[in-house]
Amino acid sequence: MTTLRRSKRSLRNHRSAVLTTAALAAAALAALTACSSSSSGTGTTGTGTTGTSAGTGSAPSGSTITVADLAPFSGTDAALGPTYLISCNGATQAINAAGGVLGHKLACKAVDTRGDPADAVPATRQMFATTSGLSLVIGVTSDEAASVVPVLNAAKMVVFGMTGQSEFSSIHYPYFYRLVPPDLAESYAMVAIAQKLGYKKIALAFGNDIGSQTFIQPAITSIAKAGMTMTANETLDLSASTFRTEAEKIVASQPDVIFTEALGPAEATFLSEVKQLNHGTMIPVIGTSATISPDWYKSVAAALGASTIASSYHADNLVTETSGPSYTPFYNAIMSQKGKTGSSGNFDTYLTAPGAVHLYDGINLAALAMVEAKSTTPATYAPFIAKIGNGVPGATVVYSFAQGIAELNAGKQIRYEGPGGPTSFDSYNDSTGLFQIDTYSASGAVNVAGNISAAQIRAVS
Amino acid sequence: MTLFLASLGFGLVTASVLAIAAVGFTMQFAVTGVLNLAYGAVMIGSAFVAYSLNQAGVSVWIALLAAAAVGAIGSVALNRGIYTPFQKRGSAPITLVIVSLGMTLIIEFGVQAIVGGTNVSYTMSTGPTLSAGGLQLTAVQLAIIGLSIVLMAAVHVLLTFSKLGKAMRATAANPWLARASGIRTGRVVTVTWALTGALCGIAGTVLGINDGSFGATSADLFLVLILAAVFLGGPGQAYGAMVGAAVIGLATEISAAYITPSYKDVVAFVILLAMLAVRPQGILGVAT
Amino acid sequence: MTAAQLFYIINILIYAGVDIIACLGLSQQFGVAGVTNFGYIIFQAAGAYAAAILSMPRDGAFGGFQSYIGGLNLPFPLPWIGGALAGAVVALPFTFLVGRRLRGDFAAVGLLVTAVMFNLLVTDYRPLFNGSAGLSLVPAPLQSTFNPQGQGYQWAYAAGAVVLAAGAFWLLRRLTESPYGRSLRAMRENDIVADSLGKNLTSLRMGVLMLGGAFAGLSGAVLVGFINLWAPSAWGYAETIVLFGAVIIGGAGSHRGAVLGAILVPVGFEEATRFIPQFGPPGLVDDLQWVAIGLLVVIFLWLRPQGVLPERRRLAGAAFASGNPESQAQFDRNERAVTSPGPASASPSELAPSIASAATIDDTVNSSPTPIVPVPRGTEFVTPVTSDVVLRADGVRREFGGVTAVAGVTLEVHRGTLTGLIGPNGAGKSTLLAMLAGTLPPSAGVIIYHGRDVTAMPAYQRARLGLVRTFQLASEFKRLTVLENLLAAVPGNRGDSMRGALRGPRYWRQDEAAAVARARALLDRFGLAVHENTYAGDLSGGQRRLVEIMRALMTEPAMLLLDEPMAGVHPALARRIGELLTGLCAEGLTILMVEHELAIMDEFCDPVIVMAEGTVLAEGTMRALRGRPEVVEAYLVG
Repeated sequence: MTTLRRSKRSLRNHRSAVLTTAALAAAALAALTACSSSSSGTGTTGTGTTGTSAGTGSAPSGSTITVADLAPFSGTDAALGPTYLISCNGATQAINAAGGVLGHKLACKAVDTRGDPADAVPATRQMFATTSGLSLVIGVTSDEAASVVPVLNAAKMVVFGMTGQSEFSSIHYPYFYRLVPPDLAESYAMVAIAQKLGYKKIALAFGNDIGSQTFIQPAITSIAKAGMTMTANETLDLSASTFRTEAEKIVASQPDVIFTEALGPAEATFLSEVKQLNHGTMIPVIGTSATISPDWYKSVAAALGASTIASSYHADNLVTETSGPSYTPFYNAIMSQKGKTGSSGNFDTYLTAPGAVHLYDGINLAALAMVEAKSTTPATYAPFIAKIGNGVPGATVVYSFAQGIAELNAGKQIRYEGPGGPTSFDSYNDSTGLFQIDTYSASGAVNVAGNISAAQIRAVS
Repeated sequence: MTLFLASLGFGLVTASVLAIAAVGFTMQFAVTGVLNLAYGAVMIGSAFVAYSLNQAGVSVWIALLAAAAVGAIGSVALNRGIYTPFQKRGSAPITLVIVSLGMTLIIEFGVQAIVGGTNVSYTMSTGPTLSAGGLQLTAVQLAIIGLSIVLMAAVHVLLTFSKLGKAMRATAANPWLARASGIRTGRVVTVTWALTGALCGIAGTVLGINDGSFGATSADLFLVLILAAVFLGGPGQAYGAMVGAAVIGLATEISAAYITPSYKDVVAFVILLAMLAVRPQGILGVAT
Repeated sequence: MTAAQLFYIINILIYAGVDIIACLGLSQQFGVAGVTNFGYIIFQAAGAYAAAILSMPRDGAFGGFQSYIGGLNLPFPLPWIGGALAGAVVALPFTFLVGRRLRGDFAAVGLLVTAVMFNLLVTDYRPLFNGSAGLSLVPAPLQSTFNPQGQGYQWAYAAGAVVLAAGAFWLLRRLTESPYGRSLRAMRENDIVADSLGKNLTSLRMGVLMLGGAFAGLSGAVLVGFINLWAPSAWGYAETIVLFGAVIIGGAGSHRGAVLGAILVPVGFEEATRFIPQFGPPGLVDDLQWVAIGLLVVIFLWLRPQGVLPERRRLAGAAFASGNPESQAQFDRNERAVTSPGPASASPSELAPSIASAATIDDTVNSSPTPIVPVPRGTEFVTPVTSDVVLRADGVRREFGGVTAVAGVTLEVHRGTLTGLIGPNGAGKSTLLAMLAGTLPPSAGVIIYHGRDVTAMPAYQRARLGLVRTFQLASEFKRLTVLENLLAAVPGNRGDSMRGALRGPRYWRQDEAAAVARARALLDRFGLAVHENTYAGDLSGGQRRLVEIMRALMTEPAMLLLDEPMAGVHPALARRIGELLTGLCAEGLTILMVEHELAIMDEFCDPVIVMAEGTVLAEGTMRALRGRPEVVEAYLVG
């Protein structure tokens, strides 16, 4: 290439042209900054609501308010987003049937984070930019929570998250609420279950993804505290096809029980190999609450056999109602979605799945808070969530949205108790409850096999 | 010791599945010079075809034949429809690699779009477990090893004694000269891709059988193991692929007995990279 | 426009900046230099992790839920600089894989596997970077002073990303529009030939890898500062495919193409699909997106492999077209004024004055030959040569597997001779030539050049000493113009290194001008001046041969090894070339020429060496050789 066509001067011109463009671009951006800051009227933070002037009243009357399901709909954890959506659709359908919130109907929207933080942030921003009447976000798993929760919080958007990560137990995000236990507590619960069932020797087999790895360290500490022995600790590479050597190591260490969580084909493959290598006899298994899901059951049952699961499998789960005044509306709400989704597997499992139970409660809490605050703006209604969840002295206990509205209209203070049981939010807006022991029947239905008391958990934590 | 024997057994099974796959892959490279990275995608697609038949009540061993047929047809279509036009145009080998990666995306995510994201299992019994010493193998696993041995023997007979096999070897060694000697290289290439495509389909189904549970992306990591076996034995060398499969299969499973098992595939990666760095023509290949 | 929409636009701008920087780095490696680095995403990951651990406090500060190395709590902009450096450093070992004589597709597979392997290692070895959970709560730059979620801050961040992208663009333009860039492109076109013309391929590749690595690392640092989290799920090998797709679709080798590709694919396509509602079974939209990316890549490679904005043809100045003697003379006067005059020393820039007179010659064949070749180089390294043996081969052998191609050849080539090398097919002539040039190592034997043992010396170093070869098969740089082909061969151009290119055109334009003048003179002489700006790949076979010979001459050789230079050339032109070569030999150039055309041998070559079955059979003039029965038997037909 010869630059001799251009004299020295034009070469300089070219170079400076590039620089000038860059400088102009930067200047334009700076100007835009100044303009937009002054015109948006909300100072330095952006809000999540669009339409009418931000920060004052609610959405325009008669409009629909949106609940966004911000979760993976693709990638390894693709089953999670749709699960939460079932819960969302069920809950909002029941709320709309009871007249909606302040005259508004609720609608659910799916926002795919693609299961990785670099995609989750623009997904969140796009959600804010394109969703009218957004008043609540649910979902938010361990795959993306750490990157999107700060954004949601800064935008003053209430979010009910599903992540069990420990940082959310100790960092203040005023708009982040969690009704599922931290992974720490689940590990203790698993150890407590093992203790209750009389097991002494425990093997760990967890997948190498984010959500599963957080169980290991607490489990190890807890096992030691409970005076039990850990015989093996194998990490399963979720992208590998077989785990025979890992299974063999575990079988050879002769544990009484295996603790596990490994989503995707890994769990099914691994467990079937354990059975094979143990001469056809399955070693008892205790799984985390993530294993209470139709997809998990379908894939593992196909590989391991339904009767094997029925006889050898337990899972920890937060106590959920299976009957009573909060169960019936919940049952109706979830069952109204049966057949409407593309999900496979035994639909009834959703009645105990954490993603269904706790998000249903979260939506109801938020909806009731909106009614009591007479506003759909999160900044305004958020304080009422803890108030309705924890209850004030003399509050009437309500078990559904419809009941709650009725009491509120009668001028009463209310406390909401849903299928997830009573809530008690701490200063970090985390609420956890008591644990129960779940099992699967031979037909794939979830049964409660026992309970763990708070004392039992304390003893091993 | 028992752990060692057990992982030796597992290694034999992995090596068997790997051998079926690697021989097919390497022979595709031998006659066309294309590193067909879409091989894993065709494997898993065939496995799902077998699965749908299996769901309809067909025994998985019969569905295996259907998978072989689908693999054969798909591979021939892939070569004739995609790779050959690019090669005729004189595209560089690296362009072909990028094309094959594009085809991987198309095939694999096309399969996933159809079958969904949940993983599935074949309906079959694993049969009794036979144990001897520390070795523990189910009847199905023994069947897989047997199947692999039979197929390797068939490949050997084909290459050494049959006219087609000699034509394949000639085409692989020097296509210009082969054509000049009267071999119809176009037909040889098509037949080779059909046969290796059948191997591909069988390998995919066997992978699904062995895994217990599989999904549309299950072959992604397996492809790397295939590459390791192929490059260890020498790209284009069928017998090299057999040797490579044996080594990689055994090395990965046995190493899992001694190191943290989640790193067992790293052993295969390191072997592959070492071969590329030190001896790209592989154990049985000839330096150019 | 609402605040929420503005935030989304800011997000897109930042991602655009990040992706542009990453695509530019990849385009420089893949499009300009021809290095296909399928492990590219690792460099971005390294930069992001480095920036993270440099800016985060020690891992104990998080109460133990994260564990990672480092944690130096450094203030902005150190983490970003660290990120760029990390990307460059991580690139170093990759040279090992791509720098060697490994087939492009094999190397690509190796790099792909490396990317998968590193992802697996980082995922499974938690103490390093917190495993699959990755590093979270990564501080945003200056977050103790400003609110990172505020609009003002985010606009500034976007502005910063855009400015960095513009800077990256400017830097790469400067590097590529230079003799160094030309060498990179020559390496891309035909690396073996570039090697034989004196380009140090390993050093060039290392430079490009490290530079691209630095860009990728910087893009990672900018990204992690914005999303405050970095996990293995963000850098699977699928991301590399997306970036490659972007560069291919935008236009490999053109920087504007890289920018366009970045805007179209990672930003445009991935963002556009967010607006598609989730229909069908779960994950369907995402699956279809991947299928679409695969389709786009394959379709583009088929229909428009050069991309939307292809690499521009570099044109030589219109003001200096031959036939415009006025401005030409003026230019020459200017050049002479700035060029320091000097006696017969060996530095290239001093050629300008002597060439200036040559430049005024019309393109007639019968003009007197201009001294194109100065004093043979390489002589300054050894004691003054007393013998006139320029090149000696002693017992040189070469085996391929079981076949012996060259079986112990001993020969000498004397200064100023046009020595011919003939023999039947398979005699080992080309193999011998390759060993003499250094493109093929001998299995045994010694090669002495100007009294110096060069047996172990690689081709590019021999070329720099003045021992240059041409190739039997077409070896022009196809997508460089004819003039660029010649200029690429010029040694010692100040702009032919990364540092020189960075110092800008002002630094190297003198050398460049001198080279252009020399090249044009040659083009005139060979009658190809009108094709100065034609892509060499578009010429006819005979014209390409001429380009090769001219290009070899541009290297200022002391000795040329010509491999069938007359093949496919019109007989009249062949004779003209022969005359020219003879003329050059008279001025001190030494040539060893392999040829089949015996008429050429007859007329021009003295002596002639005959090879058969890997050994030297005889040597002498053609007349003498025709009288030798064994030679006639082996080869000669009349």
